[in-house]
Amino acid sequence: MLEILFFLFSGLVLYGALMTVLHRDLIICALHLAGSMLALAGLFFILGAHFIAGVQVLVYAGAVMVLFVMVVMLFNLKKTQSSLFTGGIWLKLSGLFFLTGLVAGLFPLSLHLFPLRSLRTVEITSTKELSLKLFTKYVFAFEVLGVLLLLIAVGVAVLCRRQDKVKES
Amino acid sequence: MGIDIFEIVVNFLKIVVIFLLMIQMVPLLVWVERRGSAFIQNRFGPNRIGPLGLVQNLADLVKFLCKEDFLGHKTRKNFFYVAPVLSIIPAALAFGAIPLSSPVKVEAFKWLGYTWGPYIFYFQSFVMGIGIVFILAVSSLAVYALLLAGWSSGSKFSLYGALRASAQAISYELALSLSIVGIILLFNTFSFSEIISAQNGPLEFYFFGAKKSVPFLPNWGIFYQPLGAILLFVALFAEANRLPFDLPEAEAELVAGYHTEYSGVKIIMFYMGEYGHMLVASALMVTFYFGGYTLWPFLTPEKMNIAFSSFSPTWNSILTALVLHGVFMLKLFFFLWIFIWTRWTLPRFRYDQLMDLGWKTLLPWALINTIITGIWIFFMRGGFSG
Repeated sequence: MLEILFFLFSGLVLYGALMTVLHRDLIICALHLAGSMLALAGLFFILGAHFIAGVQVLVYAGAVMVLFVMVVMLFNLKKTQSSLFTGGIWLKLSGLFFLTGLVAGLFPLSLHLFPLRSLRTVEITSTKELSLKLFTKYVFAFEVLGVLLLLIAVGVAVLCRRQDKVKES
Repeated sequence: MGIDIFEIVVNFLKIVVIFLLMIQMVPLLVWVERRGSAFIQNRFGPNRIGPLGLVQNLADLVKFLCKEDFLGHKTRKNFFYVAPVLSIIPAALAFGAIPLSSPVKVEAFKWLGYTWGPYIFYFQSFVMGIGIVFILAVSSLAVYALLLAGWSSGSKFSLYGALRASAQAISYELALSLSIVGIILLFNTFSFSEIISAQNGPLEFYFFGAKKSVPFLPNWGIFYQPLGAILLFVALFAEANRLPFDLPEAEAELVAGYHTEYSGVKIIMFYMGEYGHMLVASALMVTFYFGGYTLWPFLTPEKMNIAFSSFSPTWNSILTALVLHGVFMLKLFFFLWIFIWTRWTLPRFRYDQLMDLGWKTLLPWALINTIITGIWIFFMRGGFSG
């Protein structure tokens, strides 16, 4: 049962992620990304991390993706070419190069995870446990993630500013 | 699921019955809304078909079923058909996770030559350990139905409605989640059953480490978190897209907003979604701030157990659950009436007023409420020494 659900949700995550890249209609891409997020929440759920699953749905599927879909609708973007078929040859080659590296790196690292018997060993039973870990052992990683988000916000502001200046000149 | 076939069957029946309970409330609420609006506006309302016009909704249903299933030529068919169904699912899932009464304890019994039980059946579709987070997560997905409906209709008015719906949902979700944090801090749990059982008793609080008690008031969340209750109620109005927050379907500006192009049974589904959200919102208010299915000191599970002590333990438990379910429903109807009352009392917000209320009023106040509650609890419950 657990294995079936695991493979079902993993398949949905991968399918959603692939369609996000491959589909030509931007809104459908965004919806697939939302579906991918939901399936990821399902994965968290069957792994026993119920709180993280809930927060995943709440934050990513419920807020961030709604924002994406809204922005895509607002700009009424026409159908574009799939990102797989745009860009120069060098971009594609480098992409292929990185993909190969990723797959080659991932396979030896993840092969020992099969069979899935060890699926429930790292169960986080309560939210309290999670918060204690988050605010003691992993507090620096947590803070660094906060800084990363700040960086992204500042970066977006800087990039948008620069585009405005180009338009003015 | 369950340990044997009896428990599995009962659990499935429970899911179906609670879903049908939610769906069956919709015609009743529509009737209350129409009669109530007529009452408020000094009219009669539907009063011809059946006693007090109660059968009017059946006549309306026949009309809806006979309507033409209209499709515009720019409509995206798949999404257009999926959206109404999507609008029911979040409300139904959220309503299923709220305990509607005390759990029913069934003693071991003999039936068909087997010994069954003992069982404990919770008076809700399914029990989630992370109750509150689950409800927030599920109801945050409700906006997709509106977005998809508005976008797939292929009409400008619908698209405007969808855009407004998403902007509104994002703006008010923050305030909604933050206003509940105070209650989570107070009762120290995510589980609805624990929150309700904590409210079943006299008002008790810590005052600089000393335990104080007010013997004539129940231990309801509203006495600790009045500001949080108001913030949550306003945010829930916005999440349920009810007036004064029904910008997504503002009929004076957008024809009917995101469901302009819908007709027949599909629009009934949107109504079911909207009223389902009202039900969830009222149930959340009852559970967090008004004691859930308990009414201390009159109707508590313990007193009911004593009152029905002449019955067998199983029947005792069932009768207790039914009476307490009545208590829950009464409280629920009170909040549903406030929803309807407000709709026919207040005019719609302007769009900038809506955004101001969400970002400049509700969010700061919810933040302040959270911080003060945290500091207050820390010092009152003994501070560093405790």
